[in-house]
Amino acid sequence: MIWIYYLPVVLSGIGGLLCLVPRTRFEEDVSIIASFAALASSILIAFLPNATSFGLYVDGFSKLMQIMISAVYVLTVIFSIHYLEHIENKLFQANLYFLLLNLFVVSMFFTVMVDNVGLLWVGVEATTVTSALLIATDNNELAVEATWRYIIIVSTGLTISLLATIFIYGGFHTLSLDALLRAPQATKIVSVGALLGIIGYGTKGGIFPMHTWLPDAHGRAPAPISAMFSAILLPVALYTIVRFVQIVPMQSVRNFAVVLGSLSVIVASLMTFSQRQYKRMFAYSSIENMGVALIGIALGGNAFIGSVIIILTHAFAKSAAFFLTGNILAAYRTNTIKDVKAVSRTMPLTGYSLFFAGLAVTGAPPFGTFFGEILIMTRMLQVYGVWFTLVIASFLVVAFVGLNYRVIRMVFSEPVEPSGKMDDNATVPIISLVIAFSMVFLTPVVYFFLKGVVVR
Amino acid sequence: MTLNSIFVLVGFIQIALVTFMQWQTYISSVIKTFSIGSYVLAAFLLAAGYVGHEPYLIALGGLTAVIRAWFIPSFLSRMLRRDRWRAREIKPVLGIASTIILSLLFAVFGYVIYAWTMYDYVHSALGAIPVALFLQGAFLIISRRTPTTQLIGYLVMENALYLFGFLFPELPFVVEAGVVLDVIGTIMISGVIVRLKEEPAQNADVDDSTPREDFTELRG
Amino acid sequence: MLLALSLLQLLYVLLLAPLAAGILVKIEEVLESKKGPSVFQPYYDLAKLFRKESLVPTVASPFFMVAPYLTFAFYLLLTLVLPIITAFPLTFGPVVDFIGGGLVFGAAATVKKLAAIDSRNNYSHLGTSRAASVGALSEPIMLLIFIMLGVISQTNNPYVINNVLQTSGAWYGSLVHWFVTIAFFMVLIVETGKLPIESHTMGELGMIDQSMEMEYSGRELALYKWGGYMKHFLLMNVFMNVLAVPFLVPMTPSTTALLVYPVINFIKILALLIVFALLNESVSKYRLFRIFDYVSVTFVFAFLAALVFFTTRTGGGFR
Repeated sequence: MIWIYYLPVVLSGIGGLLCLVPRTRFEEDVSIIASFAALASSILIAFLPNATSFGLYVDGFSKLMQIMISAVYVLTVIFSIHYLEHIENKLFQANLYFLLLNLFVVSMFFTVMVDNVGLLWVGVEATTVTSALLIATDNNELAVEATWRYIIIVSTGLTISLLATIFIYGGFHTLSLDALLRAPQATKIVSVGALLGIIGYGTKGGIFPMHTWLPDAHGRAPAPISAMFSAILLPVALYTIVRFVQIVPMQSVRNFAVVLGSLSVIVASLMTFSQRQYKRMFAYSSIENMGVALIGIALGGNAFIGSVIIILTHAFAKSAAFFLTGNILAAYRTNTIKDVKAVSRTMPLTGYSLFFAGLAVTGAPPFGTFFGEILIMTRMLQVYGVWFTLVIASFLVVAFVGLNYRVIRMVFSEPVEPSGKMDDNATVPIISLVIAFSMVFLTPVVYFFLKGVVVR
Repeated sequence: MTLNSIFVLVGFIQIALVTFMQWQTYISSVIKTFSIGSYVLAAFLLAAGYVGHEPYLIALGGLTAVIRAWFIPSFLSRMLRRDRWRAREIKPVLGIASTIILSLLFAVFGYVIYAWTMYDYVHSALGAIPVALFLQGAFLIISRRTPTTQLIGYLVMENALYLFGFLFPELPFVVEAGVVLDVIGTIMISGVIVRLKEEPAQNADVDDSTPREDFTELRG
Repeated sequence: MLLALSLLQLLYVLLLAPLAAGILVKIEEVLESKKGPSVFQPYYDLAKLFRKESLVPTVASPFFMVAPYLTFAFYLLLTLVLPIITAFPLTFGPVVDFIGGGLVFGAAATVKKLAAIDSRNNYSHLGTSRAASVGALSEPIMLLIFIMLGVISQTNNPYVINNVLQTSGAWYGSLVHWFVTIAFFMVLIVETGKLPIESHTMGELGMIDQSMEMEYSGRELALYKWGGYMKHFLLMNVFMNVLAVPFLVPMTPSTTALLVYPVINFIKILALLIVFALLNESVSKYRLFRIFDYVSVTFVFAFLAALVFFTTRTGGGFR
């Protein structure tokens, strides 16, 4: 039975390799089949017991991550097929695009199921290698520059996490997650390792000091890739941070994570205001969400469950938002917010979906992000007191206002004539949004999965 | 001469070489300097493995010599444009002299934070050398605009980690192999991007309304 | 005895310093496959200049005429206090230590600069400002080097430093010592005006030190030139005798050693001259503003010595 756990990696990997077969549109069919198969196997794994042997570490959190990854994978593949037609000056052919897309997913599946902190690093770095060229799909100078920044900043950050891995190994003399989580007492050297790990993997997750690649990459990548980055790549980075916090549940490490998370929230919410481009604005919203999630991870207990709810809801809502920006970019041929007007009239489905996606990613009440934030705030109130909580909450409100104000300006305003081909195809984003919305009702399921995982 | 003092020697040779890289504006000489540094590292690993009868270290040394000292530098220099001896840093972020001094300050800073934060746990003053080298590599990335030099900075950081890992029990070989694979992958992908960056005239969209060399969008 | 040795050392430096300069030129010319001037050419130059008449710019103050004698006296004083043919202090040894020696060097340079400004020659002013801006950076490095030497020997006394390095293989082989040596060598190139820094063509644009003596003639110019030869000779001696090859310098007064050592010393100097000649023939001059890059690398080496000292001092377990 153990082979079932390998299925997501194997299936998406096979799907990726089959993309190399030189037949017209073959790569699209293969990718769709592979992604659905990966989704099915992820759901199947969810019903199986946890696995901690044969190089695997699959617990409830991993299972949730796998389902999330594969679901966004399916949506992205479907949306990509349609969207690729809008890109004129492609860096490479469609089959190479799908090959890289599938391998990107393989590396993420690999990361969330592997039982070795060293291989965890290898997996995260592999996501860099596989995803870098995807950013430059739309081949222009700015996209290439953004790709370069992504490579160099993220690789540099990840060397820090490699250092962290060395420290962990120096402290425990093992790298197996299973053994590390059962290891008796965290020594001080390991706490240094955990701090470095949070900084290093935080780079990949868009956490404050090294988040600068994120708006560039999201702003210039094609819409499905931005969606994938925001929805699943950043959570995969947070997944590794969760493991580090689990291994070293010391107060100093947690405080450090809370500080970095808070700074991310503050910086991102302030930066939201100065953005002139909608994709960059949504990118800063991702930083803000990841910051909140990191705070929740560090706080542990119910706040951790809150973070996971935020991560799941955000994954679908933000991928919907980025898919929709793809539609807008294709129709209006511009990146800037002020040139996009009256989307609700020109493309009703896109416009209204974008409005709801904007609400969802900023934590408006009916959505899961709101309840996740409530859980985190409650816990924060107990641990850090009222003032700190108020500050963070007010910055969340700032981000809420900043983002939704601009989205409303884009969606409901005086009409202008779009210059590009209008294409109000919003099926995939709407499905994504519906999933994001239904995440509220799935909270008990999330709770059930995380019972054994919760960071104390 | 103990292994300890050879470690110090190798570490400071690396630091001196990074300083030299900060000094050089010609990219091919930066690449060559990196290659020399990697050869020194490989020789050190081979010697340590030979003396200590550890086949693991010998394998690692061989891997370092082949990948870091030979393959990556030759790959990078092939990635430069046709007249590769002329490729150089045209607009440094800061003056050369100030970057050299700042690089030294980063090394000192690395020593200081190592002494303050990590020394108590590692119990070896020697760890300060890789930490210093690590920060210098990071500074090389910050202080240069040329993608190839930035990559070299990244590789210097990787070399620093190699040195650091030497102070600890070795990582499992599967992890090391994965790390090497990832580094190769990163370099290959970067090679493509460097090519694209260096030849903007051929692939830039003619109708692109954004003026060339203007990355204001990517600021902030 | 010590006084006699002091006089011997004085004569040794006074007489052989021009020869070293002549040999350097000769080696360079031979390397260029030319015949070159006689190695005694500097002596002929000096003799000729001493016979010539002295001309003074009308605008110059009396200080202009004093400066050459003053600097020459400074170099004579330095000759008496540095370990050149002995590694034990001579009569005037206790007068100054390394820092003091550095200050005397600095004083000589300052006097020369002031006199150059006094001469009101444009090129002299240019050279002065260049020498001042390079010196402002290179002299602190010299100080840092002396401090690191102090770390090695717990003192600033050149004789003690020589003895420590001569007897202690651990210090001689240590990275601290070698980084200091590299840094000193790089400063030596700056101070003696060798090639990556200053070329000896007569082009005014590249001149640093030479242009400062442009208005001098006759005996004063001879003294400046002779002083310059002595300065280079002394610095080379400090480098070879104290830092790079501190061996064989007699640490106790023994007649044979004292008789043989001046010859060995001159062989050391010859070796250094060959290195300089190779350098002069193989590298090209830096543009003026790139000299500062060079100087900062020198600073890095001197400072790295400190870093090495701090990392290796506590030792620490390996593995």
